[in-house]
Amino acid sequence: MKIKQLIEKIEGEAELDFIFENGKVEDVQINFGFYRGIEDILVKKDPRDALVITPRVCGICNHAHLLAAVRALEEGYSHAGVEVNISSKANDIREFTLACELIQNHTKWFYMTILPQLEKLLKEQSGENHALKASFLSSKITKALAIFAGQWPHSSYAVPGGVTCDPTYVDVMQAQSLIEECIRFFEQMMTEMSFENYLAQSSLSSLHKIGGDFGRVLQLMGMNEMAQKGYSYDRFIVFGTCMFSKPGKSLATTVSNVDVRYVEESLQEGSVAKAVHYKQKFYEVGPLARAMVAKEPLIKSLHKRYKDSLLTRVFARVHEIALLLDYSKQLLHHLVLDEPSCTLPKAVELSDFEGVGVVEAARGSLIHKTSVKEGKIANYEIIVPTQWNLSNGSQTEKGIATKAMLGSTTTQEASFIFKAFDVCSVCTTQ
Amino acid sequence: MAKPTLLWLQSITCNGNAHSFLNHPDLFSILSHFELVYHPVLETPYSLEVLNQKMLGCDILILEGSFKSKGVQKAGVEVLEVVEHYAKKAKHIITAGTCATFGGMFKAYDPENIAGFCYNEEEKTSRYENYASKLISLPGCPIHPKWLSYVLMMLSQKKSIPLDEMHRPQELYNITVHTGCSRNEYFEWKVDTKGFGLKEGCLFYEQGCQGPFTRGSCNKILWNDTSSKTIVGTPCFGCTEPSFPKTALFSTKTNMGIPANMPLGVPRRAYLTATGIAKSFKIKRFEERIIDYED
Repeated sequence: MKIKQLIEKIEGEAELDFIFENGKVEDVQINFGFYRGIEDILVKKDPRDALVITPRVCGICNHAHLLAAVRALEEGYSHAGVEVNISSKANDIREFTLACELIQNHTKWFYMTILPQLEKLLKEQSGENHALKASFLSSKITKALAIFAGQWPHSSYAVPGGVTCDPTYVDVMQAQSLIEECIRFFEQMMTEMSFENYLAQSSLSSLHKIGGDFGRVLQLMGMNEMAQKGYSYDRFIVFGTCMFSKPGKSLATTVSNVDVRYVEESLQEGSVAKAVHYKQKFYEVGPLARAMVAKEPLIKSLHKRYKDSLLTRVFARVHEIALLLDYSKQLLHHLVLDEPSCTLPKAVELSDFEGVGVVEAARGSLIHKTSVKEGKIANYEIIVPTQWNLSNGSQTEKGIATKAMLGSTTTQEASFIFKAFDVCSVCTTQ
Repeated sequence: MAKPTLLWLQSITCNGNAHSFLNHPDLFSILSHFELVYHPVLETPYSLEVLNQKMLGCDILILEGSFKSKGVQKAGVEVLEVVEHYAKKAKHIITAGTCATFGGMFKAYDPENIAGFCYNEEEKTSRYENYASKLISLPGCPIHPKWLSYVLMMLSQKKSIPLDEMHRPQELYNITVHTGCSRNEYFEWKVDTKGFGLKEGCLFYEQGCQGPFTRGSCNKILWNDTSSKTIVGTPCFGCTEPSFPKTALFSTKTNMGIPANMPLGVPRRAYLTATGIAKSFKIKRFEERIIDYED
């Protein structure tokens, strides 16, 4: 039996074609709609225009696109002989604004997707306006971001050599207060636990103490066997060096090195999204992958017991909010302003170069590749996290999300597993 | 009295306008004046499939994204067909963002066939005549959340909004992005910045800032209640204008060393005269750093 289901409000839409046999999901085809052609729009443009154009790939992770674009330019300059060393001040500010965007993203996903969808699936409606909380947190954290980046969405404040802003301690103090506000939110609304105690957890034995909205989600998921559902290949990959992430891949209990040169894209029939794999294999990207590769203690113990289940995946993304808040706080505390914001104050005139920029975006590794000839962009490639998680698979294996949905007894549950990957339709159809 | 129904529909977009508005600190107070029938991100009582059946009420229609006459479908139905149905029904149409207003970023992929709802850059589209009487243009890439809330609150109170010839609210677009910029003193005395990453100096002469000839109130109504591009040293890219996006956005186009684009409404001769006078003085304060962090 074939069942078509439209999934909406995932930064656009996707269509899932379920093959349903013997009361179980046997296969799923994931289709994304309209291709918008950002990669084509970039051709023949000035290389730096990518800093303005590529954030427009996505309204929710635009800042990650900006940072991938600037890294691609900087790497390209270095290859062509113009060494780019950004100051630690500029690096810390970039790290801070990226962390803010991830916090924004994860919190919206938690309150606007996971919590309401879980309530709907389990018929446990609280009648609460969860989006109100998402909007509160999001407006605070993007304000902290905008202190340095000017605005969110669609800032272009990262330029080759650093950042355009030249903040004062007036700015830093304001950003600090905003981060503290967000930490208070995490304590009072999300966990009903002190931030210190939350971060101090290192084993599963204390997880039942988590209260608030996160506690409620964990309880609902636990009671409904979601720690035994949504398994994929238990194969993770990270390419970005930023925040607390290091590149690497995690298979079973082993973490090993990766090289971005082995990343390959391929066309998929019936979808405008391209599949992406590493040495012919699919890997999961995102907060769970980052935690697995970085061997984050709490997620490692959760994974030891529950593997790459739905519960582990959801936990890892919410847990990353806490790690990011803590990281942002440290960055601001150590930020020193008497270094240059930008070490390449004048435009670099290079007619030919090629560069790759990688960052860890909310949903996983984001890769930009720019190829410049005669001073103009000749080719630009963008590989987004959703392509990793949502590829339809090859002849030899199914894609990551498809695999996770197999065996599900209802399409509603399968759709929930799908949404737990935090799907971004617009990125996928750039 | 029943609240006016509000529909937010998308075409070819990045979702940036929807997310920009979600950051509004008073979001739910503003929305409480309306019955939100459909929204691309917020939970609403009706699904996209129900929306496509064209049965829902629509007093105020917010449009996001650029339009193509054929080939953009959602749930198997042409987006434009659904949008035009609700547009006919609506009492007010707000084109939220530059894509919906003029075509914007996504127009560049297929300029012959992709346009804004009522404008194709500066030209009126064939749809214009049908909807002109209820059209409000809110360009900006993305839309500023407070520009949209201003319009929504005015409509909910049935107040009339003074519009310009392209249906943009005068209160938002009859000033330029330059108005209120923290670098205004440097512009007045024609002192350019020495490069990116400095709070001193103006970005109009070399870094490509389009603020003086771009309509918008980014430096009067700050972004995220705190800042703007030009305050943090990023040039204005003219994202509210029908011509967005131009190319070579980080450098100023010049004719014989003079910026090719004059501040809005300023004759070249007036600009050159004022510049000549300002440049004939060297003012020490504008050559120095504002803050010295060295011990």
